Amino acid sequence: MKYSLSILFVVVIFAATATAKVDLVTLPSRDTVQLTIYNSADLTLVRESRALTLKEGTNSLQFSWENTLIDPTSLEMLPKADADKIEIAELTYPPRVRNLGLWNIDSGVSGKVPVEITYLTSGLGWRAFYMGTLSEDEETMRLQGYVRVTNNSGEDYENAQTRLIVGRVHILDEIAELARRQYPYGRPGEIVPRAEGVERAGLARAKVVAERMVSDLAATPKEIRKEGLSEYFLYTIEGTETIPTGWSKRLISFDVDEVPVVNLYKYEEHRYGSSVVRFLSFKNDQKHKLGDTPIPGGQLRVYRTVEDSGHLSYVGQSGFKYIPVGEDVELNIGPVADVVVEPRLMEFRTENYRFDNDGDISGWDEVRAFEVEVKNTREIPVKIEIRRDFDTSYWTLQKSGDYGEFEKVDAQTVKFVLGLKTRSTKKFGYVLRTYHGVRQEDWTKASR
Amino acid sequence: MRSKLIILSAILVLLASVGIASARIKLVALPERAATVIRLDNPTATLIEEERVLTLQKGLNKVDFSWKGVLIDVDSIRLRVLDHPDNVTLLSVSYPPNEAALVWQISSDSDYAETVRISYLLSNIDRLVTYKAIADKAESKVDLKSYLVLRNFSGEDFERARVLLDYGEAFEQGIDHEETKQLLFLSAGEVPITKVWTFDAAKLPWDPERLENRNVGIPVSYRIVNDPDSELGKYALWGGKARLFQDDGHGSTIFLGEDVTALVPVGEKMELYIGDSRDIVVTQRKMKDARINIRKNDDGKIVLYDTDEEITAKIENFKDSAAVLTMIQHIPWQWDMAECNLEYTKKNADTLEFEITLPARTESGPAVKELKMHYNRRNVKP
Repeated sequence: MKYSLSILFVVVIFAATATAKVDLVTLPSRDTVQLTIYNSADLTLVRESRALTLKEGTNSLQFSWENTLIDPTSLEMLPKADADKIEIAELTYPPRVRNLGLWNIDSGVSGKVPVEITYLTSGLGWRAFYMGTLSEDEETMRLQGYVRVTNNSGEDYENAQTRLIVGRVHILDEIAELARRQYPYGRPGEIVPRAEGVERAGLARAKVVAERMVSDLAATPKEIRKEGLSEYFLYTIEGTETIPTGWSKRLISFDVDEVPVVNLYKYEEHRYGSSVVRFLSFKNDQKHKLGDTPIPGGQLRVYRTVEDSGHLSYVGQSGFKYIPVGEDVELNIGPVADVVVEPRLMEFRTENYRFDNDGDISGWDEVRAFEVEVKNTREIPVKIEIRRDFDTSYWTLQKSGDYGEFEKVDAQTVKFVLGLKTRSTKKFGYVLRTYHGVRQEDWTKASR
Repeated sequence: MRSKLIILSAILVLLASVGIASARIKLVALPERAATVIRLDNPTATLIEEERVLTLQKGLNKVDFSWKGVLIDVDSIRLRVLDHPDNVTLLSVSYPPNEAALVWQISSDSDYAETVRISYLLSNIDRLVTYKAIADKAESKVDLKSYLVLRNFSGEDFERARVLLDYGEAFEQGIDHEETKQLLFLSAGEVPITKVWTFDAAKLPWDPERLENRNVGIPVSYRIVNDPDSELGKYALWGGKARLFQDDGHGSTIFLGEDVTALVPVGEKMELYIGDSRDIVVTQRKMKDARINIRKNDDGKIVLYDTDEEITAKIENFKDSAAVLTMIQHIPWQWDMAECNLEYTKKNADTLEFEITLPARTESGPAVKELKMHYNRRNVKP
């Protein structure tokens, strides 16, 4: 095991002559360690407690971090007892020595003092991912959420209380870059390159390392306690974890069976072309057996139970964005062929021409009659949402047939929502009139 | 001390200045450096003041000041006579060719051990300021600490110097070449903060539905006022990097985010952007955009028109706590508001600011508010 963080307690005894200096060094071990790992950036807050033996007067404490990815500017030490008698006012980064800091401590007490050392490091990360298993009728889904914690920090954190932060944190510099600097705060006049796209870098960072479950001998999987803090969610993993450097670990975050889901299909030429795209839709709320906390973004793989013996069929996968409590979730699981939407242009004509003083065309209408056929070839009922974008805000629409719910989305877009039973077809039509040139003025007058 | 600054209080016997500059013969005494001041009140340059005792003889004296391995602004070098200013006079300063040096010609009316103060601007020594703030769980106040970071890469070791900032007490500090020191210099226990969420329609996407699997984060900031009510307000707060943490209620903290602040004069606000909220969702859409009052020239060509526009913005708070969202909308050029269901302040000709109070979400779902803005832009030229 590589233990690269060391703390040296240096009692400096000055002999009669100023030059004869004797250093007495002790190595207090880490008593506890807590990791708070972020996933929107390559960032972990480490908090460790150690017990120092101080003497009354001035004490020097040396902290070094060779081969780690610690940001030296983030180092802080606080006494956890006799705080009013112990002053830690100065941290020196000595010249011509790398990865070393010296704390000067004025102590009014002598003896053991518990201290807490905090710093930011990079190289640890986590991500969320999900497994969804649809029931045979596809009306409910078992949703299992996992987190995978990876340690590439260069440091083995043993028996660490592990906490994960869900949320998007604003940082200026990449911690890994700060850790690599020759001088913690750089040199005067040095232009420090500002990390761009730090948040994205965090996602791309985590290289996959050999996955192995380091099994604890517990009979049940560990629970993850979740709570909101500021704009973040804090996941605290029960007990402690040991994730040696280079390893990663998968933990279960939640497991909910029978989440009611809606099989939603969408047709929108501007976004998806002529394919129908399948979505699984539910809500992050109590009715759907969820809603305790937001669901962090990740990949979801969807399976479907195919027979009694529990065999599975793979349906598809979907990227999952962060879902606040109470929000609707729509999981895009890709284009399908078993639900078909076919809009057909049945008629096109132009009319109501206007001419200017030179006899040139100054305005006209375009009239398009569409027929839309919607087919559900599946064995289950489905919901279909069809969006039509007109590329202009000067339009009128006449509808006919079974067009279900109809809604204006914005100035240029409308939405039709239809429910289709098992193996059924619906047809509806609409006549779209768009206004061009000076005819737009007539449209405006009529609509006011 | 590895001093590279050499001062030669020279009873200059001879200057073999026969046109060859390098051939200067000097008989010298090396006066010890006495009190040294490092003055860091100017953020762009560091002034060093050092006192030395020169042995002056009656008559003309030449004093040679040279340096090696450090970067001194030659024109900034000044000499001030402290003990006998009326009797000791600096006559001239000359610069020997191809040397980092200068020679002072000093006239003295008697023999003196004269204390002088030499000041100059020295490069590659400066200071930074950083902040660390820990917010309470309710995010109503922070424990604010500020650190002074001294960086010395000047080439010169300062064994002991008085360090002066633009405020506060001077302090004694030694700092070697290539050394960095971080010193705590401000600590305020209970600084009130205001948490601010801001949606600027010119900066953020309008319709989150159209972003495939991406959340729109609403920027969240903390606002701190540099005034006595905030335990501050004694002096301007220097610009620097600020890291914010929050008490997690379990004896530990979480890191909230970091930002850089500019200098904050007394009475002014510091605003620190910490991260993005994804629990407040804004869906903004243009529901109407038409030309009205169209005016044409004799050829029937449009020369001027007004517009009739409608914008709706649905604001949903999915948080379990209330929040006040600052919403910024922009309407360019000349315009009239026909109808607006929420109150706003006009920040300038084309910027409107709404303060929208959002209650916490309930069991039935998010707290929802809707802004409806119906306006006409006037006298638009095509």
